[in-house]
Amino acid sequence: MANTLREIIQKNRAWLCLDCGKCSSVCPITIHLADGYTSPRLLVEKALSSEEDLILTDPLLWSCLTCQRCSEICPSQVEFSELIQDVRVLAGEKGHSGSCTHSGMIQTWSRMMTDPELHQNRLDWIGPDLKVSQDSETVYFPGCLPYYQETFYGLDFEGLEIARSALKILNHLGLEPQVLENERCCGHDQYWQGDLETFHKLAGLNLDLLRESGAKRVITTCPECAYTLKYTYPEAAGQHNLEILHLVELLGEEEDWSNRKPGIAQNGLATYQDPCRLGRFEGVYQQPRDLIGRAGYQLIEMDHNRRSSICCGTSCWSTCGAGNKNIQNRRLSEARSTGAELLITTCLKCQIHLNCAQLGSDSSEPRIQIRDLITVLAELI
Amino acid sequence: MSDQKLEKKVIVFCCNWQGFRTLERIGADRRTYSSMVYPLRLACLGRITPGIILKTFEKGAAGVYLAGCPESECRHQTGNQAAYQVFQESRALLKLLGYREEQLQFAFLGPDDGERFLLDLEIILTAGEPA
Repeated sequence: MANTLREIIQKNRAWLCLDCGKCSSVCPITIHLADGYTSPRLLVEKALSSEEDLILTDPLLWSCLTCQRCSEICPSQVEFSELIQDVRVLAGEKGHSGSCTHSGMIQTWSRMMTDPELHQNRLDWIGPDLKVSQDSETVYFPGCLPYYQETFYGLDFEGLEIARSALKILNHLGLEPQVLENERCCGHDQYWQGDLETFHKLAGLNLDLLRESGAKRVITTCPECAYTLKYTYPEAAGQHNLEILHLVELLGEEEDWSNRKPGIAQNGLATYQDPCRLGRFEGVYQQPRDLIGRAGYQLIEMDHNRRSSICCGTSCWSTCGAGNKNIQNRRLSEARSTGAELLITTCLKCQIHLNCAQLGSDSSEPRIQIRDLITVLAELI
Repeated sequence: MSDQKLEKKVIVFCCNWQGFRTLERIGADRRTYSSMVYPLRLACLGRITPGIILKTFEKGAAGVYLAGCPESECRHQTGNQAAYQVFQESRALLKLLGYREEQLQFAFLGPDDGERFLLDLEIILTAGEPA
């Protein structure tokens, strides 16, 4: 049952809005929306007017990337992304929804994973050179990577190479993690799209599996999985005592990671795209930058970095149009203008979206190679 | 073919042209297939997407059959080839989700390929039966 609009406003501090417009000046959707005008400030004003229809029909309700760029700068700490999430639940109950992308395929396979009897074949990527075990206290959680591999192979997407690299690194650190055969989608997109029914089913199944596995620690290579397991599950689905880490957080803590690799060659210039969930949501800014340095790259920051980093332009596999492409192209221009040959990120969705914009663009600008930090680091072993 | 005990439907996505003509021909020849087989006609099989195929299974179909025009005879020139790619991608996704390969079939069908269609259908109907 969704909260009422009044409860949503109170919960997310919207009534403290000063009407200053800082959010609107940084919101990537406001800047790049292809037609019409919308902004976080305007949407909050509509919410406060208590005219439910006004907010339910605002284009920002479904195009918001929940990237938290606005909350980051808000003097009143209005939790705008969370407000959007709550209103989407309310809107969903009244029959509204965002426009689907990829013919709804990704939402569909996530819903199919809510079947408790599901027996997936998702571990074929683990070759004989990679060591996993059945009783480790560490679980590696690759998320939907095996599915994205089959869907986005044409986009220069590294796909399961990210998962293989993660296992290679974990093996190098002396860990032989469990990889669960029937792990489900973490439900991140369902949660943020307001589809709480699917989210609760997925979260419940994942929590059961993790409890059965006896794991104490879960390592992911997806910032959205990491954030959802770490924060959204305890808050919205069920408590757990698991330690949840993105692999770069673990490697950032490993003091001797670089000592084990003496004599790293200098690899040239690279720039770094902060994923929203790892950056603004979790505050992990420094570890990936340190690791890029340890990988032998000189890091050149884009104009917008760390807290002011710009989202890769699309979220939750929903609402992708000209405005979203503009965000992506602008971000790619920023990356190219650093002079770096390599754009490193730690989120597979950043990689997919920016590569998609790059391959579909008729721009004469040279292409920049986009890679995941995990595959870059695995080359050091 | 006798009517199956199958409780779930098999959906045939066929193009408006040769794919559908194959099914009409089967009817004209007074041949029968399971009443749980539901043909759905598309303007061109190129309209199919992995999302539509997955959703068909999500809604409980036992199998999906994609019937397009023979390889060089697509009315929309490239629709059957596009559909073939969708078929391969969907099969890979369904395999991950634990479905059997046989539950999704694809064929470039001409009007004389009714026999082939019925044989393929038999494979789907068998694969889709509860184990």
